[in-house]
Amino acid sequence: MSQKQMALEAVTQAFGEVLGADEVKKRVEAALENSASPTEIIQSLREGVDIVGRKYQAQEYFLSELIMAGVMAEEVTSLLRPRLAASSTNMFGHIVIGTVRGDIHDIGKKLVSTMLISAGFDMVDIGVDVPAEDFITAARSNDPKIVAMSCLLTNAMDEMGRVVAALENAGVRRSLRVLIGGRPISKEFAQQIGADGYGADAVEAVKAAKGLLSTGNHGGS
Amino acid sequence: MNMRDRVLTTLDHREPDMVPLTEFAIDPPHMEALTGLKLEGQTSLQTPVSADRKDEMANIDMTYRCYKRLGFELIPVELSAPDGWQAAKNPDGTMTDEWGRILRYTSVTRTWSPFRSIFHTPEDFDKFPLPDPDAPGRLFGIEQMKKLVKDDFAFGAFIRDPFAHVWEMFTPDNFVRWLYEKPQLIRKAIEKLADFNVKITRRLREVQVDLVISGGDYSEKNGPMVSPRFFREVIFPNLRRQAEEVHRLGVKFIKHSDGNLNPLLPDLAQIVDGLHSLDPTAGMDIGAIKSQYGEKLILFGNVSVDNLCRKSRDEIVQETKECLRLAAPGGGYILSSSNSWFADAKLENCLAMVETARKYGRYPISLP
Repeated sequence: MSQKQMALEAVTQAFGEVLGADEVKKRVEAALENSASPTEIIQSLREGVDIVGRKYQAQEYFLSELIMAGVMAEEVTSLLRPRLAASSTNMFGHIVIGTVRGDIHDIGKKLVSTMLISAGFDMVDIGVDVPAEDFITAARSNDPKIVAMSCLLTNAMDEMGRVVAALENAGVRRSLRVLIGGRPISKEFAQQIGADGYGADAVEAVKAAKGLLSTGNHGGS
Repeated sequence: MNMRDRVLTTLDHREPDMVPLTEFAIDPPHMEALTGLKLEGQTSLQTPVSADRKDEMANIDMTYRCYKRLGFELIPVELSAPDGWQAAKNPDGTMTDEWGRILRYTSVTRTWSPFRSIFHTPEDFDKFPLPDPDAPGRLFGIEQMKKLVKDDFAFGAFIRDPFAHVWEMFTPDNFVRWLYEKPQLIRKAIEKLADFNVKITRRLREVQVDLVISGGDYSEKNGPMVSPRFFREVIFPNLRRQAEEVHRLGVKFIKHSDGNLNPLLPDLAQIVDGLHSLDPTAGMDIGAIKSQYGEKLILFGNVSVDNLCRKSRDEIVQETKECLRLAAPGGGYILSSSNSWFADAKLENCLAMVETARKYGRYPISLP
């Protein structure tokens, strides 16, 4: 194995074992010194974050490890950003994400957003307590592949259905897919309101987003 | 048997005449609908946001009337802000509580919830003047409610769990980052908040509560928020200190937490006297918990709060009967939802839960 390959594996390992932001930055610097390209390092990051996601779902890791992997991914991406062409991080296109009106919870949305960035999406985070018209505006101005909605309060679930209807009425629904998630959300609820996909947690949300892009049909009537 | 005795018998793991009921919180729209009164001032389910005693008295009176109307045997009450305290009002319409949490108003629930923090660096905590547990007025709400409930109802005081409190104070991102980079800071913050709770608990002797409830979550749907190892090294020793202080009052210590607590149950059963919420959607199987820990832990909850919002009345009746069937025999079970009555829960469903508990919750339980 070459020095470069070993250095890239060390980056993946830093994520997989959640060794912290300082350690992963050291290993990224070492990979750069061994002639690894920023794109290769980002690929190692993705492999590492995947490991964390799998261990989280297997209950070997907990929410804190998932959040820390997100923090580490943000640090590495910031470090490499000046060296990266936009196309090398944004493999899959834009996603507009927000917590729907009536709900101000940010943690789950932020975590999903970070995991999606790590997976190669370009995220447009439009915040919390977001009314339907702001989802439409963001969809029109960012040309996203996916609009993702989050909520933690059961109170806010029906708002997701209203956003789907509003996207339809505004004529933008057919050009994008709708992904929803949050504590009270189920697959059945997603189908009921006409969403295209559902993620039970941040790791599932990444799988669902990739899955939506690999299938050809767009939502909407 | 009066309502308080019904709860005390249950807390003693014996069967009273019927299963007692409570909710640890009811959102303002339901309280108003049930009492015909109007909520005054500002409220939050996580923290005091005002020390306006006139508003606080009005809200305590409304809570009392609401619980009395529902026939709930146990009334929980939060700590108050100290006399004269005022929340910092921020230019963007948010406010900052006594603990440095920045709160934002949610129009649907009409309550204030934490969403940001004043703690941006570890040094911010070192400079932060922690609230004084001995400040006059902290027990104002608890004392006022005690005057209303007398010995007719059981009466519980809420304290905030140090881990959940620090998690919210620092925000999850900073908590986790500092847990890796400055673990001593996280340990110190949790210890200081546990010290606060121990001192507050000593003051509760003045009021004679029937139980103390530790609010704040340990878990999310998938499992504990941090590793069980961290729980054992840092969180549980501090939880035990609080439990010991509560036991010195001669009353039970109940831990509330949403989420999947299964990996923590063996430890919790050695420290606390009961668990609240037992969210079935997070894998909390009340039948299995009753069978394994029923002699040690008093169980509260398990009627899914999500189902109260979305399912039919008939489905809630069936779910309530199932909770009674699995958890009530032998005592040690207080029926409630798996969190609180959210503003969006159908009131018809909430009342169906109460009616079903009264109809089928008479001992001996005879549900097939």
